[in-house]
Formats: sequence, C-alpha cells, structure tokens
Amino acid sequence: MDLRHPLLALALVLLAFAGCGSSRRSTKSGQTVLRVTERDFQIKAPKRVQSGDVLLSVRNRGPDGHELIVVREQRFKLPLRRDGTTVDEDRLEPVIAGALEPGSPNSTRKLRLHLAPGRYVLFCNMSGHYLGGMHARLVVG
Amino acid sequence: MRRRQAFRPFATRGRRTIVGILATFALFSAMTVTVSIWATSGSQHRAAVLEVAARQRTLAERYVQEVLLARAGAQADPAQTGRLLARSADSLLNGGVAPAVDGDDDETPLPRADGGMVRAQLRQERRLVHDLTATGDAVLAGRPTTSIKLTADERLSVRDPVQRLRVLAALTSNVSLNAAHTIGAEDDRHITRLIVIELVLGAVGLLSSLLLAFGLIAATRRQTAHFRSLVTSSTDLVLVFGDGGCRYASESVAKMLGHTEEDLFGEGFARFVHEDDLPSLRAACAHGEPHEIVVRLANEFHEWRQLEAHVTDLRDDRQIRGIVLNARDVTERLRLEEELTHQAFHDGLTALPNRALFRDRLDHALARSQRSPEPLAVLLLDLDGFKQVNDSLGHDAGDQLLKKVATRLAEVIRPTDTLARFGGDEFAMLLEETAEPQAVAAASRLLRSLSEPIRIAGHDLALGGSIGIAAHAGGSAGSEELIRHADVAMYAAKEAGRGRYEVFRYEMARELGELLGLEHELRLGLQRGEFTLHYQPEIALDTAAMVGVEALLRWHSPTRGSVPPAEFIPIAEATGLIIPLGEFVVHEACAQTARWRLTADLPDGFVTWVNLSGKQLSTGGVSVLVREALAAVGLPPGFLGLEVTETALVQEGHAGERARADLQELHRLGVHIAVDDFGTGFSSLGQLRSFPVDMIKVDRSFVQGIEHDTKDAAITANLVSLAHALGLLAIAEGIESDGQLTSLRELGCDLAQGFLFARPAPPAEIDRLLAEHAAKDERREAAA
Repeated sequence: MDLRHPLLALALVLLAFAGCGSSRRSTKSGQTVLRVTERDFQIKAPKRVQSGDVLLSVRNRGPDGHELIVVREQRFKLPLRRDGTTVDEDRLEPVIAGALEPGSPNSTRKLRLHLAPGRYVLFCNMSGHYLGGMHARLVVG
Repeated sequence: MRRRQAFRPFATRGRRTIVGILATFALFSAMTVTVSIWATSGSQHRAAVLEVAARQRTLAERYVQEVLLARAGAQADPAQTGRLLARSADSLLNGGVAPAVDGDDDETPLPRADGGMVRAQLRQERRLVHDLTATGDAVLAGRPTTSIKLTADERLSVRDPVQRLRVLAALTSNVSLNAAHTIGAEDDRHITRLIVIELVLGAVGLLSSLLLAFGLIAATRRQTAHFRSLVTSSTDLVLVFGDGGCRYASESVAKMLGHTEEDLFGEGFARFVHEDDLPSLRAACAHGEPHEIVVRLANEFHEWRQLEAHVTDLRDDRQIRGIVLNARDVTERLRLEEELTHQAFHDGLTALPNRALFRDRLDHALARSQRSPEPLAVLLLDLDGFKQVNDSLGHDAGDQLLKKVATRLAEVIRPTDTLARFGGDEFAMLLEETAEPQAVAAASRLLRSLSEPIRIAGHDLALGGSIGIAAHAGGSAGSEELIRHADVAMYAAKEAGRGRYEVFRYEMARELGELLGLEHELRLGLQRGEFTLHYQPEIALDTAAMVGVEALLRWHSPTRGSVPPAEFIPIAEATGLIIPLGEFVVHEACAQTARWRLTADLPDGFVTWVNLSGKQLSTGGVSVLVREALAAVGLPPGFLGLEVTETALVQEGHAGERARADLQELHRLGVHIAVDDFGTGFSSLGQLRSFPVDMIKVDRSFVQGIEHDTKDAAITANLVSLAHALGLLAIAEGIESDGQLTSLRELGCDLAQGFLFARPAPPAEIDRLLAEHAAKDERREAAA
C-alpha cells in the first residue's frame, strides 16, 4: 500500500479512530453490540443500527440509578401516567422491544434484543427521568 | 547462646500455656466486642441517615403541594419546607444536624457521608433540591420557570411550570431514595464485613487456643512419658503404700529383687521383709515417718538385700494419695563399708585386730575395770629370730610364719581375750579379768607354745619370743600408758636375753627413754651432718703397700660425744635410718676417693670399701645409688668396693634376688664386691661360686685366735685356701699383733687390716699415710 499520499494516510487514521470510538461493533457470531451510556439525565446511544440481533451494553454512570426501556416509536409521543412524571408502560406494552431493571451507578448491564427495522426510543422511566431528558432515538435499518 | 533446657517443669510450662490460652481468648473477645461496638455505632448512624434520606422524598412532595396551595392562595409555607429540604440535603452530604420536621421527630445528628457513590448521589440531590426550590420560587412569583438555570444537568422537555415542578420533585425523590438505597446497601456490606471479620477473629482465636491447648496436651503427655520413663528405667525401686498395703511397684523390682510387681501388691509385700525391719517399715507406711529407713528384703534367691528407702508422705497429693518409698539397693555399699571398717581395724595378713582396734578394746576394758575394779593385763610379744627367717627364707615364708604364730597364740589365750598384731613380728594380747600371776602363767604358756617347731617352707623352725607384761590391778589407767609399759617390759625381756617374759617395773621406763632418745638424736644427727667417715687402711701382705681403705661411719653427737657404731647401727637398722645413712656413706666415700685421686698419689688398684647393710640391699636401689654417687664425682667404678654380709647375699625371695641383681650389675660395671664376716653365716660354698664376689673377708673372731687356737688357725687357713681356689682374694681383719701377721703371711692371705697397721682415721690422716707409703715406694724403687 502506498502510504506516501498524505490524504490517504489521514483517511485511514480517521477511519481507525472512528472504529475504535464507535459505540457499535459486531461480535464473532454476527450480533451487533450497542454501547449505551446513561447518566443524570441523558442517554447516549448510536443513532443507527442494522436490524437483527442486537446486544445493548448499558453502562450507568450515575449518580442516580437508571433503567432502560426500548420501545418502537409511535406516531404520537410516549404516553404519560397520571402522575405526570413517568411514561405509561402499560399502554406501550405492544411496542416494548425490551427493558432493563434499574441499575446502580457504575454498573454495566446487557440487554439482548431482536430489532426489526424501524424507529425506536430508548428511555429511563424512573420517576421524572424521561421528562428530565433521559431518552434517545435509534433507527434500525 | 542460651542453652535450651532438656526438660521444662510442667508447672511452669502448663501455667504459661493456660495463661496464653486465656490471653488469646481475652484478646480476640476484646477485638470482637470492639468491632461489634464500632459496627453498631456505624449502623446507628447509617439508620439515621437512611431515615433522613427517605424523609427527603416526603419533603419534596410536600414542597410541591405547598407551592400549589400557596399559589392558589391557601395557607402554606413552601419556603420553610424548601429550607428544610436544603438543610437536610446539606447535612446528609457534609454531616451536621438534620432539622426536625413539624416536630414529628427530633433533630438528627448525621455524620459526613463517605463513599464516592453516596456522596455523588447526595450532591446530585442537593443540586436537584436547589433546582426544585428555585422553580417553586418562580412559580410562586409568577416568573417563567423555563428561564431558571438548572444545575443538575436535567433537560426538562415540559414547559408547564407545575409539571416542571413535579418532575423536579420526582427527580429529587428518586435520587434521595437511591441514596438511601446505596447507604442501605453499604450498611449490608458493613454487616457482611463485620460478620466476616468476627468469623475470622473467632476462627483465629479458636485456632490459636486449640494450638495452645494441643501444645499443653502434648507437653503433659511428654511430661507423663518423661516421668514414667524415669520411674520405669530407674534402677531405684519406687513403691507406693496405701491403706491396703503396697499399691504400686516400679518395674525395677524385677531387676532389683527378681519379683514381679504383683508379688509385692497388698499385704504380700510383708512376706519379703526381714521380720526385724517390719516395725520400722510399717511405721513408715502408716505415717510417712521416718524419712530414711534401711530395710532388708528377700530376693528371688532368698538372699537379704539391704534397701535404703526415702519415705515421702504424699497422702494429701490427689494424684498419689499414698506413702511413697523410693528405695535403692545398698547391699554392696554396706558390704564394702563393712569391709573397709574391718580393714581399718584388722591386720590384713593375719586378720587379727590391729593396734587401733586393740586400743579401742583396751579403752573399753579399762572403762569397765574402772567401774568394777577388775584386773587386766596387756602382753606384748616380739618374735625372736624372725628377721633371720625373713632374710634367709624370704618374706613369703615370713608371712606364713606370722599366720601360724597368730593361730598358735590364739589357741593359747581364751576366746574372750583380744589378740592383735601391731605390725612386723609384734603381737599384743589383752587379757581381761586377769591378775599378774595369771598373766605370767599365760606368758609362760605362750613361750612354750612358740618353742614347738613350726614347719615353714620345708624347714622346722623353733622360735622364741620376748614378752612384756603390763598388769593393771583395776581402777583408772590409760590404754596408751599400759601398752607403753608392756613395750618397755618387752624390751627388757629382749635385753635380758630373749626367749623370756618380763613384768613391767617402773625402773625399766628410764632405760626405754634412753633408747628412744638415741633414735631421736640419730635423726637429728643425720639432719645436722654429725656423721663423718673414717678410713682404715688395707695392706697388701706381700708388698706392705696400702692398697685400699675401708670406710667406717662415725657419729659425734653434741650431747653424747662419740657414739660407737655398735650402739647406733642396730637402732638405725630397726628404724630404717640405715637407708639415708648408707646413702651418705656411699656418696661421701666416693667423693673422698675422688679427692684423693686428685691430691694424693694413689697406688695401683686402690679401692675404697664401703659396707652395705642387708636392709639397704633388700630395700633395693643400691645399683642406682652407687652409679649416681660415682657419676656425681666422676670416680671410675674400679676405685669402689662394696662389702656385703654373707646373710644379705644368700637371702631368699624377691628381696634377695633384687640384691643379687644389683650386685651383679655393679660388678659388671667394675665395682668390687667383698663378702664380709665370711664363715659366720649359713651360705654354702656352691652358692658362693655363683655370686659376683672378688674378695672374702675373714672374720676377726678367727684371726684373733690364729696364733694360739688351732681350730681358728685351721678355719682361717681353709678360708684363705677356699678364696684362692675360687679365684678370690682373701683379707683378714682385726690384725693386732706381729704374730697374727706372720701366721697370715704363712697362710698366704693376700690382704690385711687392723690396728697393727693403722687405726681408722679421718681423711687427712689417710692423706699423710698415702704420702708416706708413696715415699716408701719411691725409696724402694730407688734402692732397687
């Protein structure tokens, strides 16, 4: 390979960094691993992922405890319960792709999902957390 | 380096171990209690924190309600609730006093939160409380809530102020509960750690105690084994007596007595004990007294063994509960002591009592005599002629003779009398309840008994004895005094002609004093150098030349003047002083002859003759003495001659052999040997031939009668002929007249000495005579 061309070398380095820093990678079995980070009060996750088996590696950076619920996005906003601080999971039941129980800070949990193509929302449904900003959108292609 | 003890006493070791176990228990108990107290205190604090943290949720919800009520115009004080929230949140994080809420509870002291996660959650709670109260204030003031800068990184997507307020309250409640949950989980971990620590402490404490306990058990076992080994392998016999008799016997009983341990158990033990010793043994077994006893026990061969036992009363000892006898067999030791005691008080040859025992018995007899005046007598007997037997037949024969004499004397006296041997040929008898006439009769019987021939070494010997009798009529007297009186009387009997007895009279004591005084002065004289040598010339009868001198000992006592040799030589021989005197003579004669060699013109073949006593020869060492004396002054051996008596030359036994060997050696060296007083002894001519002799000295008793007595003349002639026949020289002594000289010349005698030629003279006079003879020789040679 001819590495003397400066532009080609820069492109390779950037690609390498992009690969290392990506929160999405594949295992030997072909399963896609998504790295999801939760902290007060936001969720960081890749925007896109291929459909199929997906393993969510969810790390809670705290300081509060957080859960993670994955639902297929509807045309309307996520419904709230009557307390006004939490999402009404009962009404979302048909579209829930998967959920993780609250995890303590500094813990990492795994969630194995089979995601069909579509748009998904990842959110924490601890009281007030969804409305406090803890939700992210994921497009499955 | 400290030396390790082979065995540490159990008392010390056991106490230390028990103290160690207790200390370990105490240490670990204290540690467990401390940990528990610390943990309990921590739990109390955490419980308070939990309570306050949980209360925050309630306060947050109440705050929202109060804000809504206040906005609606109802009476509420959300600001107060907000302050409570903020103070509690601050106290939870940094410690302090959490305020009371509505008087429902007390102010709660809180510790500073520890643990990274808890503090992060509490910091978040404080931020959310701040955001909540700021939003609440805005709602109450009718200000837009969206413009409030949020500090807890929340991204509120709702715009409705009330809903924002509720979301913030929910977030606050949530983080409060989570903080409480984290604290609770931390508490659980604390409790788990506490349990683990206490379990570890308990296990370590238990293990340590077990190790110490095992060590103690092992030490106890070793100690038990040690003592068992000591008891079982000891040659001592250990017995334990209880109410039922012997209860324990160590294994050594088989080795010591040949019995089994069971043989001794119970009352069976008494079967083996000598009946005379039973009372003391029973007393010892009953009361533990006395502490030391000696008992006789029969062994398997029914022989009595003497056991010395140490008694210890251990009835109060719960481990023993009995009387302990620690016994060892002292039979051999006691036997040896008896033997030693016997040896100390008996004569080894005849087994008769010795002087010490005789004195003891005499002391007792005198004590009895003083209480009830009874006469007694002490007889001292000295054998006559014993020395000749010893000298001629040897010491073995002499010893046999003494034994037979002892037997014979014992037969004469009564069994109740004491017969003792004082040493040598001196016997003593103590006749109790015997007055002087009976003592005299006993002495007569003793002499008669001795006069009967005793067969020794093929010879029938008839001995005489001299007996001194000291009779004591009763009353006070000293034993030593009585023995001395008997001694004086015995000397008197000897003086009176031997073969007789004498009863002590006080006049005798003075004479005895004379003899003792002489011996004392003789010793002093030797030390003071009062002895000198005189020399009597020996003349060759054919040439009239002085060919030698005989050295003669002279003693000039400062108190007695000149003492004749006939007086002091017998005493010197009897007391052993003859040995140092003889050494003096040999050394002095050699030294003088060496001086003459240097200063005088000694004729060829000049010999200085020295007399050796029989005792000197039989004692041994003559060869060494002569060689040393010659070497000391550098005198050639040919200048010295030794005169020995016929008796000394022919004596039997080891002493005789030693004497002859010494003389042979000196003769080979070149020293001349002459037989003195030849013809007066009992030697055979055959023996004479084999001896190393150069010259025979004809006794003066024959020479003095040579002129008038045909028998003496014949004996002298035969002696001279005999000497010549054996190739020896003959010398006649005691020549006093010309007639004697003429006769000796006619008989062909070679040499002569006597007053006719010269009296014994000091060395200076001999110097003069030597010079005179030398002058004569020169004149004779000149004339020739």
